[in-house]
Amino acid sequence: MFFLNLSLPEFLTILGSLSGVVVALYLLDRMRKHHTVPTLRFFAATEKPPVLKHRHKLQQPWSLLLQLISLLLLLLAIAQLRLGSPARSSRDHVLILDVSPWMAARLGPNRLIDQARLAARNYVNALPLADRVMVVRAGVLATPALLFESDRNKIQLAISQTQPGAASLNLQGALDFAQRAQRVQAQRPGEIVFIGAARIPSEEAARLDPPPNFRFIPIAGPSEHVGLRKMSVHRAMDDPDAWEVFFAVKNYGTAPRSIPAVVNFGGAPVATRRFELGPGVEESFSFRFRTRARGWLEARLASPDAFQRDAFRPDSRAILELPPRGVAPVTIYSAEPDLLRPVFTAIPGIQASFLPIFKYDPKARTGVVVLDHFAPSSLPATDSIWLDPPADKSPIPVRSVEANVKLNQWAADHALGAGLRARDIELSSAEILRAAPGDITVARSDAGPLIVARPGMPKMVVLGFHPIRSGMKYQLTTPLLFANIIRWMQPDAFRSWELTAGGAGTVDVELESETAPNTVRVQTEDGKSLPFTIEGKTLRFFTADPGIVRVLAGDRELVYSLTLPQPGDTVWRPSNVKVGLPGRAPLGPASRDIWQWLALAGAAGLFADWILYGRIDRRIRAASGALPNEGWRKAS
Amino acid sequence: MKPSPLIDSALLEKLERLAIRWQKSFPGLVGGHNISHFAGPGQEFLDHRQFHHGDDLRAVNWRAYLRLEKLFLKMFQVEPRIPVRILLDCSNSMTTGGVSKFDYARKLAAALCYVGLVRLDTICIQPFGERLGDSFLCGGGRHRFIPAVNFLQDLKPSGRTSYFQIAREFISTYPQRGLLIIISDFLDDAGCERPLQYLSDFGHELDLVQVWATEDREPAWEGQLDLTDAETGAKLEIGFDDAARRNYVEAFDTYARDIQRVGLRNGGRYVGISTATTIEEAVFGPMARSGGLE
Repeated sequence: MFFLNLSLPEFLTILGSLSGVVVALYLLDRMRKHHTVPTLRFFAATEKPPVLKHRHKLQQPWSLLLQLISLLLLLLAIAQLRLGSPARSSRDHVLILDVSPWMAARLGPNRLIDQARLAARNYVNALPLADRVMVVRAGVLATPALLFESDRNKIQLAISQTQPGAASLNLQGALDFAQRAQRVQAQRPGEIVFIGAARIPSEEAARLDPPPNFRFIPIAGPSEHVGLRKMSVHRAMDDPDAWEVFFAVKNYGTAPRSIPAVVNFGGAPVATRRFELGPGVEESFSFRFRTRARGWLEARLASPDAFQRDAFRPDSRAILELPPRGVAPVTIYSAEPDLLRPVFTAIPGIQASFLPIFKYDPKARTGVVVLDHFAPSSLPATDSIWLDPPADKSPIPVRSVEANVKLNQWAADHALGAGLRARDIELSSAEILRAAPGDITVARSDAGPLIVARPGMPKMVVLGFHPIRSGMKYQLTTPLLFANIIRWMQPDAFRSWELTAGGAGTVDVELESETAPNTVRVQTEDGKSLPFTIEGKTLRFFTADPGIVRVLAGDRELVYSLTLPQPGDTVWRPSNVKVGLPGRAPLGPASRDIWQWLALAGAAGLFADWILYGRIDRRIRAASGALPNEGWRKAS
Repeated sequence: MKPSPLIDSALLEKLERLAIRWQKSFPGLVGGHNISHFAGPGQEFLDHRQFHHGDDLRAVNWRAYLRLEKLFLKMFQVEPRIPVRILLDCSNSMTTGGVSKFDYARKLAAALCYVGLVRLDTICIQPFGERLGDSFLCGGGRHRFIPAVNFLQDLKPSGRTSYFQIAREFISTYPQRGLLIIISDFLDDAGCERPLQYLSDFGHELDLVQVWATEDREPAWEGQLDLTDAETGAKLEIGFDDAARRNYVEAFDTYARDIQRVGLRNGGRYVGISTATTIEEAVFGPMARSGGLE
């Protein structure tokens, strides 16, 4: 016999307090009461000698005793008194099922998850019927599938609905979650049971600290396996049409393996490589290939013999979608195209076309238009660069035309002036522009702005001088200035791409510079934003679902194809813990609840006290009481 | 008419259907609504009698004389205007109980006063305790109701009851006989049966309205009680249990039956009303059924 909810000291303390209150109320209820009545004549007729000479003497001891006994019974019900041994009372267990991708591996005809589900059912069947079980699915997150429940049907349903996930196993997180759940929700903590392959990273295995009530039911998986660890693609720095491809292969098994790998682009092989891998060895391979087209780049461990022996296929293949190379069309309307041709042909990523002035088309809506020393009657519908426009027709008003102007200041803090550090440039003649509020002064002299950019749709940049005819002709600054302007106008054409295949979970992204979070977007494939954090140059986001995540930071776009599972490189084998299924418990509950009967008896006692010693009869009489002769009586 | 704080206007509208009735035949001036057995200068023919010297010649039936050569005098039925007096108990015993009997009695008095005023009766509200207090006389229609209500609201309970004293004072103060409605708890240690009998013997028709609170008739207390008489301040310590309560109720009912006997024996009425009953239920229930109100 023991209490489930209260300890004995707690029970005695509460019982003592309540008994004291009841006795005090009892004495208070039966102390002498003062009343003012209209007459004493009827009381005098019924007068009895006072019974109580001392107020603390009990007047109705049986009523008090009945109340105290009823209170004791109710308190026992609240404390949940159980018959039986406390050691055999029902306990609350947490059943952790491994749902890492590795659980999809096959050993014989069955997947590992099927074996884990069978082991989980056997474990639940071995428990006493009164025991409650919480089912937790452990991937990168620990997700409760069922709260503490004693209904075996619900437990079996939660187990049978468990499937392998996409993210690697975070075993320590799952154990911490189980301990918290037992602390907060369990009435009497039982075991924390982990059922799975327990394939985790070796560094995590060294840190793992299982709780004292931990039980491990291992699921044996295939021992030999080779898989892709990582694959990433980015454009070559020296050739915008070339991609640099990197991928790594690991031998998870204990025997040396020779594995051929094939990389296809659009179905055509672009590289092959045979990996000779010793046990536990990881090797990488990188190469470059040129293409401007978009398409699927697929890395595959290609040996048919290897697949026959390999039990886990999801990491044998990785696919990335390469974007097409962006080209910004630039149309230059000039009477002297040869002057400008060296400048624009030197800028990679643009397609320059030179046209005479009379062919000017204001309706062109794509690309960038360069207007060399002339001002059309109608403004262009797309982004435009104005070189030394006529002073009276300039889209940005010309304040004055000055001679011998010295360009001595660049807007280095803006993308338009980034990297432009020329010495002072002497201009024989230049228009001094009048910048409006919101305009960006890219370059200025002491007399005023010389290059002004106007954001909006479309964008516009006006140069108050001709860069080729001036002292800038032989400066490196000149092509850089145009490159900056075109990059500012057409950022998509200059966007750098990096594509990486990996597993779901927490992903760290190294940014090129410290970036304000409001300029960064992290989106899933369907355009939904993902939460992320930035610490210094490291951006971190989390997703538990496989799929594609895009990180846009400035002109850089990083694409993460989180579909490549990452099995752990070691199988955790803990020591000094209970391993395997427990012995079968006897059928039927080990201890029996009697709180219902105690509550019923307590309520019955209070009701009896109310009937026997309470005021029920008085109230009934008062409710129906009236003089029998009440009413008018006629005299005649 | 402004709604009364004692009785709401909805109840007042219902009370307009009622009239105060009495059984005895009282002499009085013409103008009432209750028929008297006395003959007098009325409108309705009652009977003939022999002419005697001194009779009013205008009442001689000359047609009968021409036919029979005997003088017959026509007698007419009188509808006299009879004073209705409401004796309202204002002693301290009316203040006990969860619901104040005094407030309840005032409301009852106001309701009866309004019924009388609507029928053009003359109503005299006479508060009493140990002695008769200042009375309030109203008549002539419902527009005199508000002053009557103000008078009732200004009454304050005090002192003890002495029915012998008030019976004596009442007989000497009001020589004209009439209807006497007494609203009280009739709890006088000296007893009130004999004073009531005296009032009846003097010729008044008694309507006795006994008001009690629930705990007046059946106290819900139990155990050791320190009791104080609200009027005399006398103390009593008793042990009170179910048996004592039964004795108490029996004594109370016996006393109420004695009061009732006095009222009925002398051609009057009696009604006992608990304060748990609403005024409307009391007026339209037992009081109306008795014939005191029609």
